[in-house]
Amino acid sequence: MPEHWIWMALTAACVIWYSSVTIYVAIRGAMDIKSMLQRLAKGSEDVRQDS
Amino acid sequence: MSHFSWVDGSIVGLYIVATMVAGIAVRRYVGKVEHFLIAGREMNLYLGIASLAATEFGIVTCMYTAQSGYKNGFAGATPGVLAALAMFFVGYTGFCVKPLRDAGVMTIPELFQLRFGSRIRWLSGVVIVLGGLLNMGVFLRTGGDFLVAVCGFDPKYLEITMTVLLVSVAVYTVLGGMLSVLITDFLQFVVMSAGLLAVTILILVKVGWGDLTATVQAHYGAGGFNPFLHAEMGWEYVVANALLSLAMVLTWQTTIQRLLAAKDTRTGRQVYTRTSFFFLCRWLIPVIWGIAALSVLTPEEVGDNTLLAMPTLLSRVVPMGLMGILIAAMLAADMSTDSAYMLSWSSVIYNDILGPFHKGQWSEKRGLLVSRSIVALIGVFLLFYGLWYPLRGNLWDYLTVTGNIYLSSMGVLLVACCYWKRANSWGAAGAILFGAAIPIAFLVMEQLPSTRHFAREVVGPHLSNIATYVCVSIAMVVGSLLKPQAANAESKGS
Repeated sequence: MPEHWIWMALTAACVIWYSSVTIYVAIRGAMDIKSMLQRLAKGSEDVRQDS
Repeated sequence: MSHFSWVDGSIVGLYIVATMVAGIAVRRYVGKVEHFLIAGREMNLYLGIASLAATEFGIVTCMYTAQSGYKNGFAGATPGVLAALAMFFVGYTGFCVKPLRDAGVMTIPELFQLRFGSRIRWLSGVVIVLGGLLNMGVFLRTGGDFLVAVCGFDPKYLEITMTVLLVSVAVYTVLGGMLSVLITDFLQFVVMSAGLLAVTILILVKVGWGDLTATVQAHYGAGGFNPFLHAEMGWEYVVANALLSLAMVLTWQTTIQRLLAAKDTRTGRQVYTRTSFFFLCRWLIPVIWGIAALSVLTPEEVGDNTLLAMPTLLSRVVPMGLMGILIAAMLAADMSTDSAYMLSWSSVIYNDILGPFHKGQWSEKRGLLVSRSIVALIGVFLLFYGLWYPLRGNLWDYLTVTGNIYLSSMGVLLVACCYWKRANSWGAAGAILFGAAIPIAFLVMEQLPSTRHFAREVVGPHLSNIATYVCVSIAMVVGSLLKPQAANAESKGS
């Protein structure tokens, strides 16, 4: 096992995290934005109708 | 000699325009103060993860973590390990954050009012804003320093760089509030991640893992890999950062704002657990950059200001094209941090400090106008403080001391509020007083020539921080026990 393996493992994990999780979060995050703006727009319409 | 060219300038310009357009476009969804401050509590899980990750990584983060890598080796990433563990623990167990989110409040001081009364809420708001603004005061200059060094600009353009950066961020934050912050955070998360990844791989390929570890071994020995063995770190560094990490996770306003903006408690807790590993990444990656600077640059090239070692390295090794992506990534990181922080402190000023004046009775239109004005005023403060304040010592030490002005007391108050029945307003007031007094006294002593040596060399920031947490906890317990039970019941009833 190489010396200072723990820092090597953590560095590798960081690089893998950035190159994989980022893409997944980016795709799901874009969907979240779409649904959030739809809900906010619907909320504004409901307020207008109520008034 | 920097490799920044017109190609890189075009990439950066395109990125800034895209961010501004996206940030300003969502202003039409802002109809109420709740939309402006917490996005109408409509934030879902993955947007929350992207937003929190983008907010908690700015140029200032990159600078102090890289400085820590340059000065401490791999052991400099210890606060990142502790922060990741704290995030996971709190998210997994729901410690404090579950009762906080369940209470349906907009800020932590609002929760304190339910338990300790309106005066404690107001006082909490004051220390949160005081600590937060002092903490954020150095962000702008640090960001300007980085951009000037990496792009190879003349230092006389530092102030102009700072102003342009601030105005860009302030425009969309003032108009769209939390909604703009979330949307731009998302874009910034994507750009920032791509840039960080590309530059880290470039550095690992160019310098090599063997050279990085050999450099740390040669400069710091075993202490460069283990904080307990490091000459300038030791147990007090680890304990101070463990306390700070837990308090930050529980009460740091920008983190808590994501919890409170989440659509429910479960989503808020998931944002914590699933972002926890990012808190390690945001330390370790710049630490690697800092170690690479130690490996590649000579001490003469770095000079006295170790903060600029990493930007100097990047200006040399990052080629044209990738330089544009790097600058866009760093701008992304900085803009997301600045906007979220400006909004965080403005939400506390509006909700808790001005609360006694508006009593929740202002119209939405007036509330929005005041909230937007507060964000703009914070921007003006940042500009002047950033130009005026001379930073002495380590950047991370400055940030921990200023952050502790409220982190220590708010952390203890939150734990006591959620889990200790005897906690009351006397204990809370004592905790806030000690929590603010000790770090401020340390900052003042650090600036005065007659006490500078004592503050920095004899006491040091780590012992000062530990003392703050100990005194705050004692003040909370003693103050609460001193208050007569009858008065306690009376104040609770009122």
